[in-house]
Amino acid sequence: MNTLAEQFSTTSALSKLKKTQALLEDEEMSDAMWGSQAGFGNVAQGSPSFAVPAVPDPSAFLRLHTDDRADPNCKIKIQHGTTTLAFRYQGGVIVAVDSRATAGSYVASGTVKKVIEINPYLLGTMAGGAADCQYWETYLGMHCRLHELRNRERISVSAASKYLSNLVYSYKGMGLSMGTMICGWDKTGPAIFYVDSDGTRLKGDLFSVGSGSTFAYGVLDQGYHWDMTDEDAQELGRRSIYAAGHRDAFSGNTCNLYHVKEDGWRFIGNYDLSKLHYDGPNNVPGAGYGYDIRIAGRASALQPAVAAAA
Amino acid sequence: MFDVQSVAHQGPQSRQFNPYTENGGTILAIAGADFSVIAGDTRQSEGYSIQTRYAPKVFQLTDKAVLAVNGFSADGKMFVKKVKQRLEWYRHAHAKDMPIRSIARLIQTMLYSRRFFPYYVYNILGGIEDDGTGSVYSFDPVGSYEREACRAAGAAQSLVQPFLDNQVYYKNQTAGQDESFPTHLPLPSVLKLVVDAFTSATERHIEVGDGLEIYVVLKRDSTAIQSMEGVQEVTTSEEGQRVFYIRRELKKD
Amino acid sequence: MEYNGGSVVAMVGKDCVAIACDLRLGNQALGVSSNFPKIFPITDRIYLGMSGLATDLETLRERFRFRVNMYTIKEEREIEPQTFAHLVSSTLYEHRFGPYFIEPVIAGLSKTPSGDLKPFIAAADLIGCLNFAKDFVVSGTASAKIYGLAEALWEPDLEPEDLFETISQTLMNAVDRDAFSGWGCLVHVLTKDKVITRTLKSRMD
Repeated sequence: MNTLAEQFSTTSALSKLKKTQALLEDEEMSDAMWGSQAGFGNVAQGSPSFAVPAVPDPSAFLRLHTDDRADPNCKIKIQHGTTTLAFRYQGGVIVAVDSRATAGSYVASGTVKKVIEINPYLLGTMAGGAADCQYWETYLGMHCRLHELRNRERISVSAASKYLSNLVYSYKGMGLSMGTMICGWDKTGPAIFYVDSDGTRLKGDLFSVGSGSTFAYGVLDQGYHWDMTDEDAQELGRRSIYAAGHRDAFSGNTCNLYHVKEDGWRFIGNYDLSKLHYDGPNNVPGAGYGYDIRIAGRASALQPAVAAAA
Repeated sequence: MFDVQSVAHQGPQSRQFNPYTENGGTILAIAGADFSVIAGDTRQSEGYSIQTRYAPKVFQLTDKAVLAVNGFSADGKMFVKKVKQRLEWYRHAHAKDMPIRSIARLIQTMLYSRRFFPYYVYNILGGIEDDGTGSVYSFDPVGSYEREACRAAGAAQSLVQPFLDNQVYYKNQTAGQDESFPTHLPLPSVLKLVVDAFTSATERHIEVGDGLEIYVVLKRDSTAIQSMEGVQEVTTSEEGQRVFYIRRELKKD
Repeated sequence: MEYNGGSVVAMVGKDCVAIACDLRLGNQALGVSSNFPKIFPITDRIYLGMSGLATDLETLRERFRFRVNMYTIKEEREIEPQTFAHLVSSTLYEHRFGPYFIEPVIAGLSKTPSGDLKPFIAAADLIGCLNFAKDFVVSGTASAKIYGLAEALWEPDLEPEDLFETISQTLMNAVDRDAFSGWGCLVHVLTKDKVITRTLKSRMD
């Protein structure tokens, strides 16, 4: 009975696995592979299929080999650690992220693009598994285009995020890891949806995701107003990412800033957090965000122990 | 005497499916203005044993793309084979070589199609873009990728990458008055850095050594390599860019 | 070792030695202090660097101060770097089965029989196995990264200012690739007649 139910259920992870396993033989040599569709050619046949190990519990297998939080000695290190934020205000949506990827204590990259440009009106942010976010948000981009072609109008942020949310929900329990914010502008105005791999989908004005999110929220909540000017909003995003990059070991390097308005998103800039610490966004030496930069020369400043000793 | 009973009393036994091993080694790629250098050592090890002193980790895909693979060598071999197959099919369908940015995307989808049974390989793809600039793409085992100017991966990545940050990106260095750092290094400097990086890694990492293989993908009209010795041209066609191969010895202890 | 983070490195030059550390004190991912030096003067020409668990670092620093003072009183002379290295080693080995989570690095100038000063460096693991290297020694969460840079940048017989540049570049670029080290650096160069101490302006993320 159980097997019969599984065979015909569309949401069970196990049935999905069984189906993909059966499909795999055909998939290996599909026509799409001959063409220029670079592997996404299989889109015509529904969602892409995945190779799965022939073991009773594939997700336990995956966890065994890839989850470095459960076992730091596991072989395949999937990159973690992030600060991303997005907020909605009078002038649109601000999206700001850091650019660090860590594997254990090693800073694997300091130049990661954590904002994924889904299409000229939609942005997605990246937290959790880098590949999961990159792949599925690119895939989402294709489906948003198909929606445009079919319906002769752009997809709403709500629909796009729900598409992604349903998609990752169908893989629930199989080890996907993503915490993303889908940001954009549609008929209803600016919108942000938080979507994660557990299947959560939330609409809101202000989100921050990742290991440094608590530090970002601290600055963000304190400075947030609906009626902010564009300049103030951009500064708030930058300042929040700086705060997280400073305090959180797994966040840092640079800040990527985007602004979404009625006519789509615009890339504002890439800011080195070290420059922000010492010189601030306008590159004025001594005008940085850094605490010790701001108190330098004041009576309350802590004298460096070394300088005193020397 | 062998005690059958005691074996039976040991309780339930679990078996784990462990198809992965780590075969050591390190790979590295640096992009220049109109060239790309992709290198890897040739030692293959398992634990403290050396399986072979010559196992290539760097493979020429086309006349403008070279792929370096590191991690579990069986998965690496299979993966390179499949990438080459897909590139050949592309050639049959389109009568041209796949552009390097498309190869990068292809590698992403191929790696991600094994999201739940990953290839245990770290890939670095180097070559020349259609606009003639040198490029390097680095991948994680499940397909997240990024275009960069330089990247080290594998056993000694944590020894090599900070050195490259310092010498290629001039990190923590300040240019003197009225001076500036070059945005792209010339080929001879890059080759020196690659050899230095590997000799240093060989000193301090047991899984690195034996030999060094360097591939240089050069824009067809470039003259950067003319006066160099020990360089072997391995270009396969008249179109596309030119590819050169350099081999160096590394310490074998 | 990754609870508080931190790294130390020492290098030999021509008639001089250098020792450097980062200034971060963390509570795992959270950075707590950016003014936490890990190097302490033991005598005028011995500097001890320690990386590892901060609480053990404080304890050991006091312990070594006590033991070195007792040595100075009993022997009526300053302790030599070699002797101090063995004192460190035996102090750590006393706790063989419940060790201090500290990897010490020692840099000093030792007296030769002719009265000259000779560079001396040493490092130990957390139970006191000494390593007398002739070039450089490292410890801490960024040790692998420091090895890579030091092996490529260091050369024999560097003059004090060149040694300063070498150890600074080594440490700064190494800690920038380490999540648990950084937040400023501190460098000491010990020469025959003076100690050069500098704090470095480095990345604060």
